[in-house]
Amino acid sequence: MAVSVENYITELQKKAERGELLYIGQSLKRIDDLEKALGSPIYTNDLIPRNTLYAKLVLSKHPHAWIRSIKVSGAAAHPGVRAVLTYMDVPGINESAAIVPDRPLFAHEKVRSTGDIVAAIVAEKEIRAMEARDLVEVEYDPIKPVFDPIEAMGADAPKIHESGNVAKHMRVAKGNIDAGFNEADVIVENTYKTQFQDAVPMETETAFVVPHDDRLLIIGSMQSPHNTQASVAKVLGWPLERVEVIQAVTGGAFGPKSDETPGDVASIAALGALKTGKPVLMSMDRRESMIAHTKRHPSIIKHRTGVKSDGRLTASRVEIYLNGGAYASLGVMVIIRATFHANGPYEIPNVLNDGYKVYTNDTYAGSFRGFGAPQAIFAAESQMDEIARKLNIDPLDLRLMNMLRPGKRTSTGQLMDDSCGLPECVDAVVRSSDYRKKVAEYSTQSGRVRRGIGMAILHHGNSLGPENNDYAYVYLNVDKHGIIHLGTALTEYGSGAVSGIAQIAASVTGIPLEHFVIDRPDTDKHKESGATVASRVTVIGGNAAKNAAIKLKERVISFAASLLDSNPEKIKLADGYAFSTDNPEKTITWNEIAKRSFKAGVSLDVVGYYIAPKCIWDPDTGVGSPYNQYTFGAAVAEVEVDVETGELKILNFHVAYDVGKVINPAQAIGQIYGGSVQGIGYAVMEELIHVDGRVANPNLKDYYIPTSMDIPDKFIPILIEKPGSMGFHGAKVIAEPPIVLPGPAIRNAILNATGMEINGLPITSEKISMNYAQHE
Amino acid sequence: MSNMLIKMKVNGTEREVLVEPEDRLLDVLRDDFGFKSPKEGCGTGDCGLCTVLMDGKPVLSCVTPAFQARDREIVTLEGLNDDPLMKNIEASFRDHHAAQCGFCTPAMEIMGYDLLKAKSKPTKEEVKEAISGTLCRCTGYYDIVDAIYDAGGSE
Repeated sequence: MAVSVENYITELQKKAERGELLYIGQSLKRIDDLEKALGSPIYTNDLIPRNTLYAKLVLSKHPHAWIRSIKVSGAAAHPGVRAVLTYMDVPGINESAAIVPDRPLFAHEKVRSTGDIVAAIVAEKEIRAMEARDLVEVEYDPIKPVFDPIEAMGADAPKIHESGNVAKHMRVAKGNIDAGFNEADVIVENTYKTQFQDAVPMETETAFVVPHDDRLLIIGSMQSPHNTQASVAKVLGWPLERVEVIQAVTGGAFGPKSDETPGDVASIAALGALKTGKPVLMSMDRRESMIAHTKRHPSIIKHRTGVKSDGRLTASRVEIYLNGGAYASLGVMVIIRATFHANGPYEIPNVLNDGYKVYTNDTYAGSFRGFGAPQAIFAAESQMDEIARKLNIDPLDLRLMNMLRPGKRTSTGQLMDDSCGLPECVDAVVRSSDYRKKVAEYSTQSGRVRRGIGMAILHHGNSLGPENNDYAYVYLNVDKHGIIHLGTALTEYGSGAVSGIAQIAASVTGIPLEHFVIDRPDTDKHKESGATVASRVTVIGGNAAKNAAIKLKERVISFAASLLDSNPEKIKLADGYAFSTDNPEKTITWNEIAKRSFKAGVSLDVVGYYIAPKCIWDPDTGVGSPYNQYTFGAAVAEVEVDVETGELKILNFHVAYDVGKVINPAQAIGQIYGGSVQGIGYAVMEELIHVDGRVANPNLKDYYIPTSMDIPDKFIPILIEKPGSMGFHGAKVIAEPPIVLPGPAIRNAILNATGMEINGLPITSEKISMNYAQHE
Repeated sequence: MSNMLIKMKVNGTEREVLVEPEDRLLDVLRDDFGFKSPKEGCGTGDCGLCTVLMDGKPVLSCVTPAFQARDREIVTLEGLNDDPLMKNIEASFRDHHAAQCGFCTPAMEIMGYDLLKAKSKPTKEEVKEAISGTLCRCTGYYDIVDAIYDAGGSE
C-alpha cells in the first residue's frame, strides 16, 4: 500500500474516533462479480452432466374441468421416455402449497387453471420429453369457469375450491369512516385496474436432483432452499434430513422463486430421479415458466376519498380485489401488504380498507417484487392527482399537506418518528426535476405532442412485518489461510445483498472484504433463516452478520492479545491488522492471526442470530405497528406524449429513497435502476394476457419487457439517510420500493400533459390514442 | 433423421461433432464442447442471452441449427477472456456493478466487444442500440451502458 502501515492505521483510528464506519457507504466490488464477468459455469444448468435425464410438464388444457381419466401408456412407450409421472406416483402428500393447502403438485380429480400440472415426462433427451407430452391422453369434463374476481365473490359463482372463492380477507379500520365522509366538503370516487405482470427472471426455474444412498441432493435456482426442501420432503413422505438442497447461483428471481414453483420443479425431478434411479433435470422453458409460475396479481381497486375544500383528507375508503388465479400461494400475504399500504403515505384520520385475494380460473398469482404495493400505490397515488384536479390545487401541495412526516400517524395509527424521511425525498425530487416550474408550464398545452410532469410517493413497511417471524442466522467460518466463509440460508439472486452483509461483517471486525467468500446456501450446513423475500437480507441478515462479527471480533482480539503479549482491552483491529495500543508499532496481519489460530487449535468460527422485534397490530382492524420501520420514496417523471399515435417517451425520471443508512451506494442505486425499469415495464408495456384462462403471450416475443431503448435518457437517483430503528446503523430496505413508483408517476405525468385520466395499467400507446379519440 | 459429422473452429480449436438436423448450436456449444457462457433465456431468439460470435458476427445460438456452423469459426466469452479488449470490458463491468444476477453478462459483454471492435469510442446512444436485442431484468441497463461506454474510452 502507498502509505505506511502505521500511518494507515492511525488514519483508521482517527476515522473510528470520529464515529465513521469502516467500509460502510463505500461502493466496494461485490464478492461474486469476477465469476460473473468471466461467464463461469455457475448456474444450475451449467453444472449438469452430459447424460442426464430431462423432465417436461404436461399442463392442463382447460381452466376449470373435472378430470375423467389420464392415460399415460402412449407417452410411456415413446422412444427415449423413461418415466411418466402423475398424482399416482406421489408417495407422500400430493401438495405443493406454501401456506394454504389448496394446490396439488399433480392435478387430481380437477383442474382449476391452465397452469395446473397434470403430468410430467422424464426422457433421455429434452426433445423426446417434449414430443411425449402430446401423447398423454387426458379426458376432461369442463366446468363453468370464472375469471373476474368480483364476479367470483358472488353467491352464484362457480366454486373453485370447497372453501369458497375468497382466499383471504384483510381489513384496516381506523377512526369513524362515516363521520369522516360527513366532515368532507368533496368526495372523490374512482376505480383503478392493474394487470398480470410476469417477473421474467432471465434464468427460468430449474432443479437438478441426484439420488444417492437413501438421500437426494438437489441443486437449483431458488430464493429459499429450506422451502424447497420442505416441499420435496412432503411430496416424498420423507423426513427433511434426507433431502439436501443447495442453491446454485441464481439468475434473477423477483418473487416467483420464493413461491411454490421451485418446490414444483424440485419435487418433479425428485420423483423422476427416484423412479429411474438416475439424476434428473427439471428446467422450465420460458413458456412453462410464464404459464406455471406465480405472477403479479391483477387488481381492481375502488377508492372513495373525503376531503376538505382546502385539501385536508378526512376519510379514505378502499376496496382491493386481487385476482389470485386458482391458488392462494403467498398471495394471502400479498393482500396483507396491499391493504396496509392502500391509502398511500398519508395521515388520514378515518380509514376503512377491505382487501380480498380472490380465487379465479386464471393461472395463479403470488409473490413478486413489491408484493401488493405496486397495485395499492398506483391506485392511491392516481387518486391523489384526481383529488388535486377536482379541488384545482397542485398535486404536490396536496401531498405536502397530508403526507407522513415525523409526528404524523399512518392508517394503522403508527406514529412516525425522525426516521421518516419522506419530506426530504419529496424535496429532493422536486428540486432535481424543477417540478414547480414545469408543472405550470405544461398544464396549458394543446398541440399534438405534449409534455407533462407527474409525481408519486410511497412508504414501504420493511421486511416481513406482519407476515411472519423475521430472523436469520449468519455463520463466519475462518480457514487457516484467513479466508472467512460467510454462510447463510439467505440467498443471493442478483442484488448483491449477501455481499452487502459481508461488508457489514467486515466493518464490525475490521477485516477487509477481500478476505470474505460466500458459501453456497445448503440445507445440510445452514439453519433455516426464513425465505429471502421482502428485501430483508440487508436489514435482518445484516443484523445476524453484525452479531456474528461481534463474536468473531471478540475471539480474534482474545487470540491476538496472546500473540502480542497484551490485554484484550488494548487490542485494536483495523483493515486487516491487529495491534496493541501499548505498542502500535508492532502489528500482526489477519492472515497471520488465522494461521496461528489454526496451529494453536483455537477455532475462530462463530454463528450470529437475529430476530426482529415482534410487530404488534390488531388482526381485526390492522391498528398498531405492523412494521418496525419504513422506507420512503418519491419519484417525478417527465414525459412527452403524441396524443394521436399514443407514442410515449419518458424523458427523465427522478427518484429519491430514504434508505436509512447506505451500506453500498452502487448496489443500492443498482436496485433503484433495476426496480424502476421493471416498474416502467409494468407502467407502459407489460401484460401477461389471459383469454378465457389461457395465457396468450407466454414468450418473450409477445410479452414485452423493457430493452435498453426503452429507458429514460436521464435518470437521477438520490439517496436520503434517515436511520430506522432496526437495520445496521439504521439501514432500511431498498430492493422492492423502486418498482412501485413509475406506474403512478408516469400516469400522473400523462394527466398533466393531456388532461386524460388513465386509470388502468399498462398505459400503452394504443390505450393513450384510444383515450384521446374518446376524449376529443 | 440423418446424423452429420461437421467440423468447426470453437474458441481457437478445431472440433468435430456429430449432429442431428434438429440440434441447436447452443446445445452443441454447451453440452458437447462445455462452453457454458451462452445461456438459454427464451429458446425463441428473443432475449439474446445465447449470443456468440460466428465468423466474428453475433448470432443467436438458440435459433441457429448446429449444422450451420459447419466450417465456421465460433467464439464464446470463454474464448475472449484473454483478449485485451474483453479484459477491459470485464473490468469495467465489475467497476460499474454491471452484473447483478449475471445471467445476461456474457451476452452483454460480447455485444459490447462487437461494438467496440467496430468503433472504439461509441456514444452512449450507440451502446444502447448495440445491446437493444439483449435483455436484462436486473439492472435497468444503466450500469451496463456505462460499463461498455467506459471500456471504450480506455482503448
